[in-house]
Amino acid sequence: MQMAIVKMSNFNLFAFDSNRDDLLHELQRFEYVHFVDLDEDEELKEEGLKNVTVPESIVETDEKIARVRHAIDILQKYHPEETGLKAMIDGMPNYTFEELERKASEVDYLPVFEKLEGFASEVDRIEEEENRLNASKQELENWTGLGYPIKDLRTFEQSELFIGVLPIKLGDKLNEELVGLEYSHVETIGEDDEHIYLFALTSKDEADELYEILRGSSFSITELTGDGTPEEEIDAIDVKLAQLAEEKEEVEDSIISLSGHLPQFEVVYEYLVNRRLRLSASENFLATERVNLIKGYIPTDMEKEFTNAIENSGLDAYYLEVEKADRDDPEVPVLLENSKFTQVFESLTSMYALPRYNEVDPTPLLAPFYLIFFGMMVADMAYGLIMLVATSIVLKKANLKDDTRKFIRFFFYLSFSVIAWGALYGSFLGDMLPIRGLVDPAEQYQSILVLSIFFGLIHLFFGLGINAYMHIRDKRYLDAIADAGVWYMSLTGAIGLILAMFVPVPAILATIAKWVMIAGLVGIVLTGGKDVDGVGAKIGVGIYELYGISGYVGDFVSYSRLMALALSGGFIAAAVNMIAGMLFEIGAIGIIFGVIIIIFGQSLNIFLSLLGAYVHTSRLIYVEFFGKFYEGGGKKFNLFRSKPEFINLK
Amino acid sequence: MTFSEFLVSHGGVFFGGLGVAFAVMFSGIGSATGLGIVGQAAAGLIIEEPEKFGRTLVFQLLPGTQGLYGFVVGLMIVGQLTIDMPLIQGLYLFAASLPVGFVGWGSAIAQGKAAAAGVTVLAKNEDEQTKGLIYAVMVETYALLAFVMYLIIANAIVF
Repeated sequence: MQMAIVKMSNFNLFAFDSNRDDLLHELQRFEYVHFVDLDEDEELKEEGLKNVTVPESIVETDEKIARVRHAIDILQKYHPEETGLKAMIDGMPNYTFEELERKASEVDYLPVFEKLEGFASEVDRIEEEENRLNASKQELENWTGLGYPIKDLRTFEQSELFIGVLPIKLGDKLNEELVGLEYSHVETIGEDDEHIYLFALTSKDEADELYEILRGSSFSITELTGDGTPEEEIDAIDVKLAQLAEEKEEVEDSIISLSGHLPQFEVVYEYLVNRRLRLSASENFLATERVNLIKGYIPTDMEKEFTNAIENSGLDAYYLEVEKADRDDPEVPVLLENSKFTQVFESLTSMYALPRYNEVDPTPLLAPFYLIFFGMMVADMAYGLIMLVATSIVLKKANLKDDTRKFIRFFFYLSFSVIAWGALYGSFLGDMLPIRGLVDPAEQYQSILVLSIFFGLIHLFFGLGINAYMHIRDKRYLDAIADAGVWYMSLTGAIGLILAMFVPVPAILATIAKWVMIAGLVGIVLTGGKDVDGVGAKIGVGIYELYGISGYVGDFVSYSRLMALALSGGFIAAAVNMIAGMLFEIGAIGIIFGVIIIIFGQSLNIFLSLLGAYVHTSRLIYVEFFGKFYEGGGKKFNLFRSKPEFINLK
Repeated sequence: MTFSEFLVSHGGVFFGGLGVAFAVMFSGIGSATGLGIVGQAAAGLIIEEPEKFGRTLVFQLLPGTQGLYGFVVGLMIVGQLTIDMPLIQGLYLFAASLPVGFVGWGSAIAQGKAAAAGVTVLAKNEDEQTKGLIYAVMVETYALLAFVMYLIIANAIVF
């Protein structure tokens, strides 16, 4: 078992173009291959190597993926996936890569897909029709005051008829203008917030005149469709709508009856996505007429499995070079490997930045501090026990995704620290139980504050130590002194001096501390400018580096949050208990409300405490700790698998 | 009883009580404003992606802590109030309550803005949401320092 960045080897593989599919298939089963994109390698291209023509089957695969995805979407829409406890416990089905391929090859999804698509377009058609009918219904609803069959409106011979709409604000203007007409009858059928619905009857002679007036008031003619009165028409539409709703339900039932096929589609989908990844991998390769050149990285201790995978793919002939990757090459991808315990902290490292290949993996280094600090911030036995029980049950019962399982295990480990600190502080749901801890945070917060700063000191010195270690490992001794040594001296001396003010110590010790500090500070000025040229610039940068001392003051103060969060969490819990206690004195009803307040208040406080501890501990790690030694910025090692969406792929 | 006599005999508890009020009031105003800012941003996101509700809550809760610190300080001062406490003790407790009240006020609003930006990260690049969270938490440091300073002040002088 390794606790670090996985050692990498780079490889050059020459293989026949005709063997490519089988080769890639085997490599995908092997999984731990990271291809280098040779497309940007101008040197090789100048030697006459060309990009591999990406197989046409990639287009076909994309189409299949789109289709299967469509089918999954349809099925999920009408048959929402189960949520809740049972779904969480069952989780997603587990497959190995081989099982996935076998299962996917057994499924003939096309007939079901075609049926599904038919049903889906049927639903679309029905919905379109519904929209159309609803629109005409809405239109007709404005004309219900007409009370006259629509078909009869078309039969007037001696007179002209105008039916239409005009803006309500022009209504008065229209009325004034109509006064001069003799043979016209204008009637308001209906009104809403913005429009007047008008019915105008006039003689043939006056028709043009009336129409001009109407047009002047932004009148627009409405074509009423149908035969009966508007009300009869609306009823008819309602009947049709009811029929359509029935039809739609039938089609939807047919879709739901196919939902048993959902898992199959999901398996096929995962298979196809992996197949697509395999096909598109060849975009990274270069080729001569018949031979492919493949470059990439594999973990050094998997070289044997890698060559086996190549052998297994039944190549006619191939040529393979493998050599250890150059430690300082920025192109080497980074894969972390940690023990079962420290693994759960990897997400913290990768959230900040993966280490570069020549750095150290900070995960095992940050893990113990994270554990201690998190517990110190929450520090409640009951909260810790709740975490412990909840995470244990989930870990035991539920079938979880890898990432989720790690996340739950993360809190499982943290719960022990929370319980331990809770016992130390004597807090159980705040002050619910009269437990005597070693220190009482409400009274002795000064001791806890000193302890917090002391933890900060250890944390920062440890960070500086890692910095020194990396420099010494790489034989950059001057850097080790400049980045860590002189700072150790200055800080230790300064702390010694401050302690001497409070604790009686022999004067000689204080003097030693003073001179160590001065030597350190001089050292900072002298070494700070080692990377710049010119005496003036060196001294200038050196003095500027001295300013970094103020940063350390800030760093130490920052650790006071270790005390502050525990204290505020404890006090809020105590306040909840206090309010509940007052209610308990009222009697039976008070007890009921008191219990509700305790449950609600304490749950909220657990959540707030855990969230606060999670982000504030992360901050101490990222800003104070990482600031002392860690840069990061490594490339991620991309496994030759696509991240599954619907299944767990082992 | 003249006013100055009244002040000497009862001023202590009055100013102590004023300290409680200041600590709770101003940090509470700040937190409420901050929560409002994040709430608006979160509500905008929920229209399109209601499934992110739980995670927006995490962002929204961040500026809430200042009000809690103020509340805790208020409780701690209440614990020290007596009807006949000396005037100077009351004034001292009042002074001690100011940092958590005012820093809480300003920092909660600033944190609310940072957290609202964090909600945008959650909307557009879900995988990086924790980074948005960390930015918002940076602001909180100063509210915590004010809280710690209350403890130091309150403990520095024994009446």
